[in-house]
Amino acid sequence: MANPATAIDPHAGAGLSVAGRRRVRGLLGFVVGVGGFLLLWALLSRFIVGPFLLPPPAEIGAEMWRILSSGEFFEQFVPTITRLAYGFGLALLIGFPVGYLMGTSRYWRAFFHDMVMVAGSIPGITYAVMSLVVLGISLLGPVVAVGLVAMPYIAINVAEGLDSVDRHLVQMSEAYGRSRSRIVRHVLVPSVAPFAFAGIRLSFALAWKVEQLTEVFGSSSGIGFQIRVEFEDFSIPGMLAWVLLFIIFMLLIERFGLVRLERYLFRWRLEDQA
Amino acid sequence: MSIVLERTGPSEATGAVRRALTSDTGARIASYLCLLLLWQLIAMYEERFPGPGEVFGFLWDEVTAGSHGGVVRGEFIEHFAATLPRFTFGIAVSLAVGLVVGVLIGASKFAEAVLKDTLLVLLALPAIIWAFLTQMWFGLGDRAVVITIVLSAFPFVAVNIVQGVQAIPRELRRMSSAFHVTTYRTFRHLQVPAVTGYFFAGLRFAVIVGWNALLLGEWFSSSEGVGWRSRYWYDANRYRGFIAWVIIFILFIVLLDRLVLVRLQRHAFRWRDAHLTEIAREAEEVDIGVPGA
Repeated sequence: MANPATAIDPHAGAGLSVAGRRRVRGLLGFVVGVGGFLLLWALLSRFIVGPFLLPPPAEIGAEMWRILSSGEFFEQFVPTITRLAYGFGLALLIGFPVGYLMGTSRYWRAFFHDMVMVAGSIPGITYAVMSLVVLGISLLGPVVAVGLVAMPYIAINVAEGLDSVDRHLVQMSEAYGRSRSRIVRHVLVPSVAPFAFAGIRLSFALAWKVEQLTEVFGSSSGIGFQIRVEFEDFSIPGMLAWVLLFIIFMLLIERFGLVRLERYLFRWRLEDQA
Repeated sequence: MSIVLERTGPSEATGAVRRALTSDTGARIASYLCLLLLWQLIAMYEERFPGPGEVFGFLWDEVTAGSHGGVVRGEFIEHFAATLPRFTFGIAVSLAVGLVVGVLIGASKFAEAVLKDTLLVLLALPAIIWAFLTQMWFGLGDRAVVITIVLSAFPFVAVNIVQGVQAIPRELRRMSSAFHVTTYRTFRHLQVPAVTGYFFAGLRFAVIVGWNALLLGEWFSSSEGVGWRSRYWYDANRYRGFIAWVIIFILFIVLLDRLVLVRLQRHAFRWRDAHLTEIAREAEEVDIGVPGA
């Protein structure tokens, strides 16, 4: 009953607000959906495909629990997430200046245009194997791959942010004699930051996929490396357990980390839109 | 008069040169030259990494069916002939499956509640998992590759169709039913135009994601095709062959994307994006992450 709208909502039935009912329906759908999916999977595994090629969900669940409870998961998760973070650091370091140039100068926009446009359609396997060829099996490979994948998104979003800066605000600041650095600090940075963050969030899913692929091809630790090990052991439950755990954690980071953080950091902007 | 001409002559010429250098085309050429230079520098720094000269020489032989010391002949055509039918078939199946799943989720609240989370996980699964699984399930061959493409690409079609179906303005639907517009006419004039743009966006994602999946599929479970060919040179430690093939498959997808798919998408979305500045529209087109996730 946290929702004060309940009292005045004429359609409130059984003491639930509209939002509450929607949440219940969502939860019900989630339970039915996941339950139905698992049931279908179990039946397929039992009767049609066979438990060796498609292990039943319980077996994968047990494997996931083993990986989690033995602490193995976090042992491998830490290097993976650290490389991802460094990769995004690299992407920001290059993406910001490139985006700034693209957003402020016609020449530099044309200069970087093709590289930025093309980067998104380059297959991930290219980044994975090329970084292996150039850097060998090293910590640097996945970092560079993530940096290269995420950089164009950040650059184009920073450019878009600069493009959207309110020119009247800049003119007014100049008319009132604000210094260049104060205009940058109080007008440009707040306008561009949400776009840059959107760039990070948009490229996040793509970046960790490529990072994993790089680990599969050339790394000696991390989730991707574990997937490779399980594949070479011909262990389908092990492979699925690792990748599902990883996906769950990544979706949690995206949903409850990035999306919330974005909402919190730029709450003044959301209010403005509402 | 002649003095004036003499004076303006050279400066006009340098002006023209400067204009050419600072034009968009000039900037583009400069950027490609810089890339080549960077590549050359990396090649000089890292012994194993071949420079542009070597790679393009190799590429020329592979494409023109020249011989590499009598080893291979006509590889380019042969492997594309193996790859393209798989790719086309895989994309066609992805479109069909994605369309059905997308319309289902978009049109029914129940289907949305039930299938949404599964779709989210499917979107998040990296293509490499499907490449591994299909190899274990089906062994080497066409089937493993095509199924890798379908399983990787169809969620991207579905999620776009869902967005399209949900973007159909409710007022227009209500008005159509209030004025007794026939089902066929609402379908033809409301549903189809509203979803078309999203369909082309989905097609674009499917092609890009599917191409990556195809390369991985061929890398692990095929004995012909462009993915296998690049692996062949990679395993043989002939990196210039490998990089030549990387260039081929990047060029293929980039040309397909920029020359065909982006134009289709832009054309189908012109009603929606007309108010956007060019940079904002490009930012939208660059984004091939997970839409709606």
